Amino acid sequence: MAPLSTIAAIVVTYNRHAKLCNTLDHVLTQTRPPDWIIVVDNASTDGTDQVLARYCSDQRVIVHRLRRNTGGAGGFYAGMSRGYEIGADFVWLMDDDCYPHPDALEALEAGLTKAEEAMAMPLSYACSLVKFVDGEICEMNNPGTTWDWGRLMALGQESVLVTHCSFVSVLFPRRVLTRFGLPLKEYFIWFDDQEYSLRVTKESPGVQCIRSVVVHDMGVNRGVNFADVTPENMVKFRYGVRNEASYRLHHQGMGAFIKFGIRLVTQLRSGHVPWPLRVQLLRRLIDGVTFNPKPEYPRSVL
Amino acid sequence: MDDQSEKQRPIALFELLDESGIGLTDSSAEALDERERRLVVGAANFHALATPGSVLRFTVLRGPRGTFPSLTDRAVHRIEWPHDREAVGSLLIRSIVQPTTASAPPTGVVGLVVEVGGRSEFKDTYRALPGWHGRVRRTARFLAPVQFDAFRQFRTDLVEKMGHGRSLPRMAPVRVNRTTKSTMTGGPPAVIFGLHWLELGGAERWALETIRIAAEVGVTPIVITDRESSNPWITKPELAKAIVVPLTHPMDPVTEAAFLNGLLETFDIRGIHLHHNAWLYGRLPWLKAILPDIPVVDSLHIREWRTSGFVDISVRMTGLIDTHHVISPELRDHMIGRRGLPAKKVKLATLANLTTDTSMTAKRERGVDGPFTVVFVGRFTQQKRPYLFLRLAARLQKHAPGRFRFVMHGEGELAEEIHVLRERFRLETLQVRGPEIAVSHTLTEADVVVIPSDNEGLTLTSFEATAAGVPVVSTDIGSQASLIADGLLCPRHPYRFLDAAAAKIITMTTTPVQYKNWLEEQVIKATEFAKLPLARPWVRELYQGWLR
Repeated sequence: MAPLSTIAAIVVTYNRHAKLCNTLDHVLTQTRPPDWIIVVDNASTDGTDQVLARYCSDQRVIVHRLRRNTGGAGGFYAGMSRGYEIGADFVWLMDDDCYPHPDALEALEAGLTKAEEAMAMPLSYACSLVKFVDGEICEMNNPGTTWDWGRLMALGQESVLVTHCSFVSVLFPRRVLTRFGLPLKEYFIWFDDQEYSLRVTKESPGVQCIRSVVVHDMGVNRGVNFADVTPENMVKFRYGVRNEASYRLHHQGMGAFIKFGIRLVTQLRSGHVPWPLRVQLLRRLIDGVTFNPKPEYPRSVL
Repeated sequence: MDDQSEKQRPIALFELLDESGIGLTDSSAEALDERERRLVVGAANFHALATPGSVLRFTVLRGPRGTFPSLTDRAVHRIEWPHDREAVGSLLIRSIVQPTTASAPPTGVVGLVVEVGGRSEFKDTYRALPGWHGRVRRTARFLAPVQFDAFRQFRTDLVEKMGHGRSLPRMAPVRVNRTTKSTMTGGPPAVIFGLHWLELGGAERWALETIRIAAEVGVTPIVITDRESSNPWITKPELAKAIVVPLTHPMDPVTEAAFLNGLLETFDIRGIHLHHNAWLYGRLPWLKAILPDIPVVDSLHIREWRTSGFVDISVRMTGLIDTHHVISPELRDHMIGRRGLPAKKVKLATLANLTTDTSMTAKRERGVDGPFTVVFVGRFTQQKRPYLFLRLAARLQKHAPGRFRFVMHGEGELAEEIHVLRERFRLETLQVRGPEIAVSHTLTEADVVVIPSDNEGLTLTSFEATAAGVPVVSTDIGSQASLIADGLLCPRHPYRFLDAAAAKIITMTTTPVQYKNWLEEQVIKATEFAKLPLARPWVRELYQGWLR
């Protein structure tokens, strides 16, 4: 029997066509296939468009090419808007280096339904267990848990209640987009997923479905730690510091902002990060005081 | 069709004993026109239901211009009237509604004085605003309509922002699970329809269609309106087999209950279908307490700015409503996503083919030589902002004198203002048309239709324009994005709307390829939209289910 709900998979890509093919192959062969696969091409320059042309014979694949690179945040913003406009009941988000196991989507959908039945309330999202290529847990994509995280496990379900997660395999119901809007595209990169998942769990938690597994092929298995700042990865950290500072101050208060500042300084010191980089990041911390974008809402079309 | 229906006698719940000037028996002696006669019959039906078996004498008054009917309110029991009312008819009837043991008919003749109001016209809400506050608003609005509108939009933004996410109190559901025996009836099956009024409007067009379908499947439609109005559509053929009761307020609570009891005792009520009727919303708990199993469907069209209007009322009363029927994806998402109603209670069924078949888009080529015809189709009301269209026309005329031709097709409370502004902006090329010309005719002349409304659900005009092969420039409101090309959606704020709409129309005249692309996108959107469930077959199936 065909599923009652429709799902649009959203894959955001930028100059990683080899990994993208792998991701799309995994998405297209799901046991519960998505109804649409929206690939948001962030103005790639490595021939991604030619690679994507091969997939366009599949009616489910929609390529949404942006005129300029808008970062992961802008890509997910555009993809979720498109998914909402074509009438999807759920959007399933991932990066272009995420390889879902064949039953990952089926397990997410079933896990969310079971969890909602058990909790007798609508939940905000369902996310997968994210593993690194070596089978270890992926350090960067661990969700934060609620105080009663084991409530569903006590009822025999293989799911954990969570407060925030990354955009590496997460399923959002349409109503969440209607109620809370879209990710903040102004974040460009980093912390956009945390901000969004924290925003949407204001009314009800999310759930991590342990049986839904994806592999995140991200090169090095490291979480976010300001001790790791180098001139090469500085760009991401610059956005990360500004975005998190903005979130802590404007959504959690001065205490959270100061706490974040102390963590930043402590980690920079422990990593012996060069002073010019430290100064740059502290300036970004200050930028967060005036940087406070507001969410936009998707448009109902179908 | 209209003429034929006008000759048909309306359904009466009374026996006519005598009449003078009404025209129910002797059309040569009639002093009332068909609209007025149907209003009187509506009043007679109401009082026949409220006082089963009684003999009623109606004195019928006509008021001066600007007055509206008084048919069921407390004033009908007074047998004196102001100096400017003239008595134009008299009616003596006996209610054929059977009294139950619980309701003994009054003895003797009951005297009632009803008014049919002045000539049929739209109520000008701005003119009716009382006191200095009203005077200031009227003056500001007339002298500076665009600036006044800019202020209104600013206020809308503010209220929307503050109200976002605000939860609404909800009416407790009825826990009674069995009806009392006195209301059991073997009468004809009927459905109660609650309408705002019987005037021109998209919601009213859909309401009349549901009434027609109900009559077609074999139930008696009981049509109740609750808004002060001349009710010009009371003569529509869709109402030929309906019992129409235009309520006027304030009513006596005892009479209200008696009226509803009369309905429940006379008819086998199979369901209630609401179409924007505040009075009936308020009586749902009482009706549900008497008939706990009665299905209630509420059709919603538009979420009003600032108040949310009937949508919020519907959410408050959701415990008493079985299905919230919405006509647009935007409303569906609002009800489920914002208001948290269960998805299974919200039914999206569109009006895509209500007035026209959008799958049969006319193939027409835009004339390159003649003037470019810019058209406004809709009611002349604040919501539709006809004054913005006039301002847009003035701007386009200034940009390229003689290149454009303008047509405004509609009627409504701002008709006078439109003529004044037309003179003020020196728009000699602007033609104002009324209902005497078919909208379809105007659309065949149009090169572009402009919808400057500050609020809409999903306009039927957009469907009609698409079917006629005409692109639409519209404000990006409600679910207009479901039909209109992305590039032709304009901001709601008046100045930004004028800039955007003028730029897009000028582009249409200078770049035929772009014109074609926009129209093609609109047709594609209409085709996709037409795949969504349609309201007409859904409601037919619904009523057939109520009959089983």
